[in-house]
Amino acid sequence: MSDLPPERISTAATLRLERKHPLAIRWMHWINFPILFLMILSGIRIYWNDSDNDHLHAHAVYRVGVGSFTLFRIFPESVWNALHIPWHVTEGMGDHFFFMWLFAINGVAYVLFTLLSGEWRFLVPTRGSLREAGRILFPSITLRKASPSIHKYNGAQRIAYSTVILMGAGSLITGLAIYKPTQLHYVTTLLGGYEWARWEHFWLTIGFCLFFLVHVAQVAFAGWNNFQSMISGVEIRPVGEPSIEQERRSWR
Amino acid sequence: MSENESKPASESTDARIRAASRKQTRRSFTLATLAAAAGYGLYRWIEAGPKIGMQPAALRRAIQANAAVSRALFDERALAPTYPVERAEHLRINGLIGLKQALLPESWRLQVVGVANEASFPQYVPDVTTWKYAYSRGSESTEGDHFTFIPPEPVINRLDPILASSQDHSHPYEEAGQSKSALPAGTPGLLLTLDDIAKLPTHELVTEFKCVEGWSQIAQWSGIRMLDFLEAFPPAKKPDGTLPRYVYMETPNGDYYVGYDMAVCRHPQTLLVTHMAGQPLTQLHGAPLRLHTPTKYGYKQIKRIGLIAYTDTKPDDYWTKLGYDWYAGL
Repeated sequence: MSDLPPERISTAATLRLERKHPLAIRWMHWINFPILFLMILSGIRIYWNDSDNDHLHAHAVYRVGVGSFTLFRIFPESVWNALHIPWHVTEGMGDHFFFMWLFAINGVAYVLFTLLSGEWRFLVPTRGSLREAGRILFPSITLRKASPSIHKYNGAQRIAYSTVILMGAGSLITGLAIYKPTQLHYVTTLLGGYEWARWEHFWLTIGFCLFFLVHVAQVAFAGWNNFQSMISGVEIRPVGEPSIEQERRSWR
Repeated sequence: MSENESKPASESTDARIRAASRKQTRRSFTLATLAAAAGYGLYRWIEAGPKIGMQPAALRRAIQANAAVSRALFDERALAPTYPVERAEHLRINGLIGLKQALLPESWRLQVVGVANEASFPQYVPDVTTWKYAYSRGSESTEGDHFTFIPPEPVINRLDPILASSQDHSHPYEEAGQSKSALPAGTPGLLLTLDDIAKLPTHELVTEFKCVEGWSQIAQWSGIRMLDFLEAFPPAKKPDGTLPRYVYMETPNGDYYVGYDMAVCRHPQTLLVTHMAGQPLTQLHGAPLRLHTPTKYGYKQIKRIGLIAYTDTKPDDYWTKLGYDWYAGL
């Protein structure tokens, strides 16, 4: 994808094209999207097997209840059926234990890229991120109105995007602890044992779903220019705004 | 696009920038659409391909590659954590394949095939397959789909729902059918009694049993180590001096069957179980002899073993045919 270096644009312009997202980050972001979707779908298909015969499965993670009494389920029977979950356990396992490799490789590549390229500086929360996030979240839920946008990402985004990377790492570690609880029993024990590792793994999944909902809503509020930049890499910005590319150059 | 000279320079420059952006966006979205279509096509191609054991071939190969990675990394060396006996629970009864009729204990023998110098053992017979197991209900004519078993002992752990669900044919429950590793008539081997096995040292183990369905329970097992069994009844070496790579086990009626790597049977926590929670095994827990190994899911921990065969051919495996992992290593 070609780019127009900002310095070649006439100074008389009030707009410029900002190189916002590096090519590698765009590819890894969009590769992750269907893979994470498949991991969640296949994971739920596997998890379903434990929610079957609920009165026998005291450890069912997405069930709130005491003994044989079930107060509440995240996934009631109707949801299972609507999503075509029941009786797809082996399909779930086939997908899960294949796409886990792509999920892991893509995630590790992303972390390595952000570290080596310096892009991590845009992502890791800074001292003011929490306060900034509070200002953004409470006066208004939209990014556009409240975002001071001095950096590539505001405080709320820094916290959210860093957290979701940590969640990905958490899914890999808790997943390994469930997958190989005998050979890697130190890991499983550190996570509180097999049942806790499952609990953590499954609730991280709910975390990804919540992240997805908020992320999509925020992107919708932020508008087309912002969204298309995650695909094209460039975003139209007023000349007066601080330059992301300039900040990148300042690291070198 | 045409430039209007009468407009300020910045406006036309901005228009150029917008146009450049639009072009870039169009090009990127085209590429993204192609990539998405290619990705989706690849996924459909994998899912729609020929199947091996009810898994798309590519995914089955991935499962086997995962097993190869596990074998290379771990080689079944780690010992599973053990627990104080107070934490042991009554293990849930799950899975009745191969157990649907009550076996008469006096009719039980363990067929062992592939033992070194087998003819020198007093338990040697020229054809183990002629041994007749006897059941307390019905004869061979009723040995079919119908559940004819009536538990002879008080049943722990809410058995009824399991019986009900095992008869509920509204579920698309599949059966794996006959084992390809079943012994041909005329196979020589040993016929062991429980006394022959009980001569080996007894071991106690409190470990966490894990079902592939997702649940787990800590249970107390006692029996003899498979490792000791392999010493007492060693596999015959191949002509090149190495040991056969696999062990195959099945229930007396052959309905349930499992294949293992030899390494699993050499794991010190792999037990031929005779007692659970300090009591002799019940029929539904696989009396008189079942397998426990914390290195595998429950579906590899066969109940009511009727045959142990050492083999160099990868044995057939009940649940592998239905889409599950042959290796199933924890």
